[in-house]
Amino acid sequence: MSEAASLDGASLQRFLDHVEPDSGATVTQYRPISGGYSRLSAFATVQWASGTEESFVLRSDPPPDTGVFESDRDDESRVLRALHGKLPVHSPKLRWYDESGEFFGQKTLIVDHFVGRPLPDVVAKEGIPAASEIFVDTVAKIHRSPLDVVPAEMERPADWESYVDGLVDLLGNLDDAVADKNPAVHYTAAQLREHRPPPMPLTIVHGDCQPANILVPSSGEVLVIDWEFCRVGDPREDLGYYSHLPVPPNLYEADPEGFLAAYREKTGFTEEQVNPQTVSYFYVLGMARLLGQMFAAADALAQGRPRGVMATYMINGTAATTRAFVDIARQLAA
Amino acid sequence: MLSRPTTEQILLDCCNDLMSGVLPALTDETAIVRLVMVETVMRNMAVRAAHEVAWMRAETVAIEEYASAVAAGCPNAKDVVAALEDLAAAPSASLHLDDVVDTYVLAGQAFSAALEAAVASGVRDLITRGEELLDQRADAETEVMAGWSPTGR
Repeated sequence: MSEAASLDGASLQRFLDHVEPDSGATVTQYRPISGGYSRLSAFATVQWASGTEESFVLRSDPPPDTGVFESDRDDESRVLRALHGKLPVHSPKLRWYDESGEFFGQKTLIVDHFVGRPLPDVVAKEGIPAASEIFVDTVAKIHRSPLDVVPAEMERPADWESYVDGLVDLLGNLDDAVADKNPAVHYTAAQLREHRPPPMPLTIVHGDCQPANILVPSSGEVLVIDWEFCRVGDPREDLGYYSHLPVPPNLYEADPEGFLAAYREKTGFTEEQVNPQTVSYFYVLGMARLLGQMFAAADALAQGRPRGVMATYMINGTAATTRAFVDIARQLAA
Repeated sequence: MLSRPTTEQILLDCCNDLMSGVLPALTDETAIVRLVMVETVMRNMAVRAAHEVAWMRAETVAIEEYASAVAAGCPNAKDVVAALEDLAAAPSASLHLDDVVDTYVLAGQAFSAALEAAVASGVRDLITRGEELLDQRADAETEVMAGWSPTGR
């Protein structure tokens, strides 16, 4: 077995020997989980000396200066610890955290494995309406949750107006630190400044709200994963982010009016606040941070600091996203 | 230098080899995903290699005309004027790719400033002309994408 600190079964064994020295852990199964745009993940099964067996999911940062989307494992660990058991849906139970990267080479979270089908499997087997009902119900439950369940360290915007102004400014300044200006984001930010939607109460925003991040058990509440971009913000950011996500089948695109009517019914928000146009507005703002990270990853390559093929590959995503931004901005102005 | 096969043809030939000769031999899921990404990027680059100099030069000329019109037609366009001055000093006659890119980057700064000024001033004709230029840029980017679709999940 390798002695190097990296995300593998040998490192997990050494880690468990260290954090649970009296429990007699034996890693009996370990496999990387492929897919995902940001973190490295793996599934592991552990047999304890007592004879019981447990399964876990490991989430680790990619090596430094690689990958496209960056987030902070310290923040994520705080979010997971704060949310677990306090939301009307399940959130991952954080069991251990290698916060220094001593054992896995990078900061690594280890959470309990949850037995459930990814929501896209429900789409495939039970159809879009059934999956859409689960998805809308899940998003609404997150958005109805009280803000006092998020970590105390998490930033609380002073008010809706300043929060949205800040997001539009973020969009307009997205390419400040990169060599290549992107006229599409400047046009979009200018139009968003001129056409603000009605305000809404600020809520918990998941930040990567999509069916692939929802696991559906055979009974009981779903588990929502990937809380790394969780924040306090406008709930339409989650709706907007998902509304244009190019991963078929898109449950929103299948029936936008029906999707939003169900969401309004579960949250009590009005049609003036939540409609296809306001959702599109917040698609732009909900995607702004990720687009900024895509710009930064491409710029890093231009500066001679390549971050791997994902960064280059996602240049296509940049083009698709900015085109959608311009289309939305034009509709807002029409 | 050997001009035929073109860069585009060479890259596409490498793509074919990756997909027909290398991909079937892979079993590791992560390696398969990475190979598919590499092949996609190479097809993107084949399109870029074939057209990027012509596209950037044509767009730079159009942007300079547009930004000049915004500078003349909108109040508070001093950022546009400054960006146009920078663009005028760019190595626009050279066909070396680095020079074409440097000039195009400066054109992008002028275009960004011009769009902001046009939208803030509300001059409909200038906004529409800017949107048409954005469409042309997006059309070129779409062609470079060569049928790209997300495969991350």
